[in-house]
Amino acid sequence: MEKNIAIKVEHLSKTFRIPHEKVSSVRGVVVNFFKKKTYEEFEALDDVSFEVKKGEFFGIIGRNGSGKSTLLKILASIYEPDGGVTKVQGMISPFLELGIGFNPELSGRDNVYLNATVLGMTKKQIDEKFDAIVKFSELERFIDQKLKNYSSGMQVRLAFSVSIYANREILLMDEVLAVGDVDFQKKCLQEFERYKQNRRTVVLVSHDLASIEKYCDRVVVIDKGRLVFIGQPNEAIERYTTQYIHPKR
Amino acid sequence: MHKSHENYYELIWMLAKTDFKLRYHGSVLGYFWALLKPLLMFAILNFVFSSVFADRIAGGEYYSLQLLVAILMFNFFSEGTNAGMQSLLSKSQLVTKIYIPRWTIIFASTVNSAMIYIMNLLVVVVFFVWKQFLPSPEAVMMFIVSSLLIYVIIISFSLFTAPLYVKFRDLSMIWEVLIQILFYATPVFYALQLMPLSIQQVLLLNPMAFIIHFTKESLINNHFPELWQGGTFFVLIIIVFFLSTLSYRKLSLRIAEEI
Repeated sequence: MEKNIAIKVEHLSKTFRIPHEKVSSVRGVVVNFFKKKTYEEFEALDDVSFEVKKGEFFGIIGRNGSGKSTLLKILASIYEPDGGVTKVQGMISPFLELGIGFNPELSGRDNVYLNATVLGMTKKQIDEKFDAIVKFSELERFIDQKLKNYSSGMQVRLAFSVSIYANREILLMDEVLAVGDVDFQKKCLQEFERYKQNRRTVVLVSHDLASIEKYCDRVVVIDKGRLVFIGQPNEAIERYTTQYIHPKR
Repeated sequence: MHKSHENYYELIWMLAKTDFKLRYHGSVLGYFWALLKPLLMFAILNFVFSSVFADRIAGGEYYSLQLLVAILMFNFFSEGTNAGMQSLLSKSQLVTKIYIPRWTIIFASTVNSAMIYIMNLLVVVVFFVWKQFLPSPEAVMMFIVSSLLIYVIIISFSLFTAPLYVKFRDLSMIWEVLIQILFYATPVFYALQLMPLSIQQVLLLNPMAFIIHFTKESLINNHFPELWQGGTFFVLIIIVFFLSTLSYRKLSLRIAEEI
């Protein structure tokens, strides 16, 4: 794999089997033993290939159910692909949502440690960055309170701060731009700019076409599991809006 | 596949510690609460078998010590297997929203069970001191090895069932019934010697019966299994563990889709 490539996806495909009658118990297996099992196949991804260069902001757009999240989940190795390969150079962030593992019964401090560990940080790294994480979230006063006493906005702020300091070379983001109040959003966008300046690789899934156009270097359009366009953001958005959102009769 | 984590041990420890903390709410009272179930069971069985029935069943003045050790060991096994089986489903967010190696979630659950078991052993020490009974060093060694073997059984069981439980949600009910049967098929509150020889041999096929019988015997009577018995048992447990890792590898591949 060439040095300047962060992610290489070749002929990726993923099919989900959706049974007509879902059997979710041993009893069900016994009862339905002689019944013929029928299912529908749903091709979430069909022969998708692309490359993401190092330091690139790479956008993925498409309608609901077009396979964007499935693609991200395969990149994060949450799903196994059925065909094709993904190659990743560098540590990739394994999460798609913020605040995974957060527990309302624990204090903000404990949750930072828990969440950061789940995101792959070692205790030493967390100790070093703890103050910075809390400072970024602006929750210094509340950090030893239980998370259940936080407002949902505060929880998201804490989660976002942890994820920023989780320091991965390649970041996967699924609709995480709209976070917190206006001031905090501004801060997040500044952070985003810094990522860009530091030439970090980001794969971004969003329906917010304005921020896709603003931040991304290249964009792919996915429709019904197929990659239909790859190229400049403005062309991609143009094509996506004309052909897939408001198709011409 | 690419690696995304290099902190496996810290991850397991963090997950286990969190569960432990949540269980005891960080208080002494919480610890007492967790101990209440096995202790109550001990009190009842001890009363029934050493006061109501004659010494014939109880067998010897250190019956209560044997009973306590056996109950805590069996409790370790039943709670550990139950929690291990349900570990992946109860932490489904860690399976579907993020990638962490799934076996760390299963291991964390077993570590948590082991921590609770070790806490409970404090009570055993108190009881031995109170009864002024000192087991031989070999017996203590045997006890530690037995506890480790139970731990390996719990891990194997969890690796095998946790991915299955995601699909078959009634496994926990089936296992609950089987645990009941196993409890009576294990010499927890009775001595194995009371059974006819043929039944003894059948009962010893149950691994928990084997472990608990010989732990009780060694702790109080300094009577150990034959080397070939212990050796065979040990090898079998290791083989089962190996098989469970193979099964886990196969079953866990598509787990995120099935949860």
